[in-house]
Amino acid sequence: MSHPVDRRGFLRAAGAGAAGLGLGSALAGCGSDKQSGTVTLTWWDYFTLDNFRPAFDRLIKDIEAQVPGVRIERRTFPFADLERQITLGAVSGDLPDIAIVDNVSMNSLAGSGLLADLTERVEDWGQADQYYKGPWDGCQVGGKNLGIPNNSNCLALYYNLRMLDSAGVRPPTTWDQLADTAQRLTSGERFGLAMSAIRTEEGVFQFLPFLWQAGGDLDTFATYGATALAFLDDLVAKGSLSEQCVGWTQQDVNTRFVNGRAAMQINGPWQLPTIKKTDVEYGVVALPRDKESATCLGGENWVVMASSDHQDKAWEVLEYTQRPSVLVPFLVALGNLPARKDLADTGTWASDPALRLFLSQLPVARPRQYGPGYADASQAVAEAEQSVLTGTASPSAVAKTTATKLDKALEQR
Amino acid sequence: MRRGAGTTERGRRPPLLRPVSLATRRRRAGYLFSLPGLVFLALVLAYPLLYNVWTSVHDVHLKELLGGSSPFVGLDNYRTTLDDPDFWHAVRLSLVFTAGSLLFQFTIGFALALLFARPFPFNGLLRSLLLVAWLLPPVVSGTLFRWMLDQDAGAYNALLRAVGPDSLAHDWLIDPGTALAGVVFANVWVGVPFNMLLLLVGLHTIDPELHEAAALDGANAWQRFRWITVPLMRPVSVTVLLLGLVYTFKVFDIIFVMTGGGPVDATSVLSLYVYEIFFKFFRFGEGAAAGLLLLLVPLLAGAWYVRRLRGEGDAA
Repeated sequence: MSHPVDRRGFLRAAGAGAAGLGLGSALAGCGSDKQSGTVTLTWWDYFTLDNFRPAFDRLIKDIEAQVPGVRIERRTFPFADLERQITLGAVSGDLPDIAIVDNVSMNSLAGSGLLADLTERVEDWGQADQYYKGPWDGCQVGGKNLGIPNNSNCLALYYNLRMLDSAGVRPPTTWDQLADTAQRLTSGERFGLAMSAIRTEEGVFQFLPFLWQAGGDLDTFATYGATALAFLDDLVAKGSLSEQCVGWTQQDVNTRFVNGRAAMQINGPWQLPTIKKTDVEYGVVALPRDKESATCLGGENWVVMASSDHQDKAWEVLEYTQRPSVLVPFLVALGNLPARKDLADTGTWASDPALRLFLSQLPVARPRQYGPGYADASQAVAEAEQSVLTGTASPSAVAKTTATKLDKALEQR
Repeated sequence: MRRGAGTTERGRRPPLLRPVSLATRRRRAGYLFSLPGLVFLALVLAYPLLYNVWTSVHDVHLKELLGGSSPFVGLDNYRTTLDDPDFWHAVRLSLVFTAGSLLFQFTIGFALALLFARPFPFNGLLRSLLLVAWLLPPVVSGTLFRWMLDQDAGAYNALLRAVGPDSLAHDWLIDPGTALAGVVFANVWVGVPFNMLLLLVGLHTIDPELHEAAALDGANAWQRFRWITVPLMRPVSVTVLLLGLVYTFKVFDIIFVMTGGGPVDATSVLSLYVYEIFFKFFRFGEGAAAGLLLLLVPLLAGAWYVRRLRGEGDAA
C-alpha cells in the first residue's frame, strides 16, 4: 500500500542523483585530497576512438605513477564538441584543469582569457627551441605562451603506386605536373585526384596550402585566392577532381582512395593506419608546389585553463608528458608525429617512409594563426571554394568579394 | 512600530487559523499541487528564455563570459542581425523549406490516411512499417538520405538511371540549385507518417452515415470527398499544419547532418544560421537575438491558433 521510504534509502537515492550530476565525484575528490594530499586534475580531449585508448590509458597510468600526488580524471568529447563544451563550461563554471585542443582552436580560445599564461613556466623550462617553428608559434598569442604542442601533422599527397606505374607517370612535384598527372590518371569511375572541400574547417585546412603555394595569404586573397581557386576549378572542369568534393570530409576522401576510386589524394598521416589495413600499394610525396612549398599544420596543443586551482600541478603534468621517454611511446601508440625536432630520429616516424615524409614537411607547415576573427575568415574561404567548384561563380569574382569579407574578419583583434 | 504577526487585538484570531471556505481551500490545494510543475517550468523554460532575452541586449562574446563585463547594447544585436544579408537569406530558405515540407507532408499524408482509412489486407502491418520513418532519430534518417542521394553510390540515382537516361542522375546535395530540394525531400519522408496518423484519426471521427446518405442521394466519390470529408477535416487539418509549421520551422538536425548548410550557403536555414553565430563565431549576443527572431514565426502561428480555438469555443 504505502511505500515507507527509510532515511538511508533516501540518502542513497539522493547520493546517486548527485553523482549523476557530477557532484558526487567532485565531493569524493575533495575528500581524498584532504586525506592523501593528492590533487585530482580533470582533463578533456577529443580522442574518442577505441584505437586511441591504449595510448591514453598508458600515459595516464604513467603520470599517476611518476608525477607525485596527481590523479587524472579524463573526459572525452567528439571532435566537433570539445571547443563548444569548453565554451559552455565557461558559462557554467565547469571547466577542466588541462585539455588537449586542436591547434586551430587557439584562434578563438586565446582571446577569451580562458587559457592560463604559461610564459614564465616555459622560460624556466627552457625547451622551447626543441620544437618545430610552426607548432611552437601556434601556441604563442600576443607575446604569451598559451600552450605546448603535443603532436603535429600536416597534409601531403598520397598516390596509388600501381595506378601511377601502369599510366607510366611519376608523382607530381609542381602544380602543372599535378594537373597533368591527375588528368592522365582519370578514367571511367576513377578520379585522378581527391581532396576535401567541405564547408567546414576541414575543407579550409585542405584549401589553404593552395593559397600559400600560389604565394598569397588571407590578406592577399583577391589576387592569390583567385589563382588557387582557378587552379582547382580547372581540375574539376577537366574531370580530374570530382565536384562532389564539396561534400567530402577527409575521411570520405580516404575511402575513395582506398577503394581505388581516386588515384591520388590529399590527406594527413592519421589515415595511415586505415590504409595499411588494406592491400593498396601507396606512396606519399610532398604537396606539389607552385611559387612556394607549403602545407597546412594540424595537430593538438596542451593547454591549462586559467580557472584551474592547480595550475602548478597541471604544468608539472604537461612537462612530464614532453619528456622524450614518455612522448615517443605515446605518439607511436597514437600514430601521430612529434612536434619536437629532437625526436625526429626515434620512433616509428624514423623508419616508416610515409611518416618520415610527413615529418619532413613540418618545417614548411604553417599554423592557421589569424586571431579571433578566424572563424569568419574560414567560413568565407569555404564558401568561396564551394561556389567556384559547384560552378556558381567565377574564381576572380569570388576572390574579390571574399577578400572584402576576409579584411573585415581579420580586423577583429 | 512593528506589529506582531499574530496580533489578536480587537479579538481577531490569527489569520492562519481563520476558517476558509471549501472553494478557497480547493483553490489553494490546486495551486499547491501545480507548484512543482510551475517551478519546473520556470526553471527549464522561463529562466533560459529570460536569460536569452538578457543576452540578446548585451554584447556577449567568449571573452565576456569569463568574468568580463558584458555591456548593455540595447537593440544593437537585433539591428546587426536584421542588417545581415545572410540572416535574410536564411529566413527565405526557412520559409521555402517549411512551405515545401508542409505542402508535400500534408498532401501525401492525407492521401495515405484516405488509403488506410478503408480496410484491406496487411493494412495494420503497412501502417506500422510507415511509422518507422517517424520513429527514427533525425540524425539516422539524415545520414540515410545523404547516402541515398549520393550520385555514385546513391539508391535514388541508381533508380533514375534504371528508368531513364543517365542524365537523370544528379548530385542532389552537391548542386546548390537542388540541395534544398534534397533536404525537403528527406524531411517530407520523415514528416509524412505523423501527418498520416493524425489525419487518419480525424477521418475516423467522421460519421460513416453521412457518406452513406450522400451516396444514396447520388453523390459520387469525388463529390463526397469534396463536400463531406474536406469540410469535416478542416479543424484537424489546421492543427496538423500548425504543428507541422512549428516543428518544421526549427528543423536543425536533419539538415545539419545532410549538408551542414552547404553547398556554399544553399541550405543555411535560420536554425543553422543561429547555430553558427553561437558555436562557430561565438557571438552570443547576436545569436540570442537571432534565436528570438527565429522563435517569432512559430509564436505568431501559435498565437493565431489559440485565438482561433477560443473563437470556436465561444461560437459553440
